[in-house]
Amino acid sequence: MPVPRHLDSRLESAETDDDVLVEVLYQEFGAPLLRHVRKATGNDLQWAEDVVQETIVRAWRNAGRLHREPGLLWAWLLTVARRIVIDGRRRRGARPQEVEPADADAVSVPDGSERALEAMIVADALLDLSEEHREVIEHTYLRDRTIGEAAEILGIPPGTVKSRLYYGIRALRGILKERGVAS
Amino acid sequence: MSPSSRDVHEDVAAYALGVLDEEDHQAFERHLMSCEECQAELRELSEVPGLLDAVRQDRSNSLTGTDDDRASR
Repeated sequence: MPVPRHLDSRLESAETDDDVLVEVLYQEFGAPLLRHVRKATGNDLQWAEDVVQETIVRAWRNAGRLHREPGLLWAWLLTVARRIVIDGRRRRGARPQEVEPADADAVSVPDGSERALEAMIVADALLDLSEEHREVIEHTYLRDRTIGEAAEILGIPPGTVKSRLYYGIRALRGILKERGVAS
Repeated sequence: MSPSSRDVHEDVAAYALGVLDEEDHQAFERHLMSCEECQAELRELSEVPGLLDAVRQDRSNSLTGTDDDRASR
C-alpha cells in the first residue's frame, strides 16, 4: 500500500499516547487492512472487521516495541492479521462456511475478473516452482498449517520446511514480479 | 554467518505468511526489530501472501472441496 510520508511524524507523536495511537492506526491502516483481510476471509465482511479490530488491539498492546516506520508497521499488521485469520479458520475447522455467499454488490474486492486473472497467474507461477518449494507453500499457508504441523506431515525437520519456504516464496515473488502481478 | 543466524533470517518468509509456531514467531519478531536486512526482506515479501489468497479463494469458489476431500471420496 502507498505509505503516506506524513505518517512518520503522526506515529512519532502518537508514541506517548496509546489512545491516539489506536486512532491513528485505524485512520491510516484500517481501510487498506480491511481490503486485504477480506481477500483472506473469502469476503466475509463481519469476520474481516473482527480481524482488523483484533489486529489493531494487538498493535496497541505491542505499542512499546512496535516499529514506527510505516512500511514495516504495515508488514507487521499484515502478519498479525494473517495469523488471526488462520487461527479463526482453524477454529472453524472443516465445517461448511457459515457465511452465505455474499451478493454480487458486496463481493467486488477487487473486481472479480481481475481477481480471477490474478488467481490464474499465481496458480501458474506455483506450477513453475520446484516440487519441494511448491509442496511447502501448499502444506503451510494454503492449508492453514504452522511450520511444525507441516514438518510432521511431510516428515522433514521444521528447519528444512522454513528454509524451503524461504527460497520458495522468494522464487514465487520473482516469477510474479516478472509477470507483472507483484511489485 | 553462523548456521543458526542464517536460520533466523530464513524465518522471514514463514513470518510474512504468519505460519511460524508461536515460540518462533515471538523469537523472529525480536530479531526483526534489530535486523535491517530482515526488515527490508519482510517489506519485499509482504504482498506475496495476499496474492496466494487469490488462489485459495479461487479454489473454494470453483471446487466443491479441497484435494483431500476429493481423494477420500
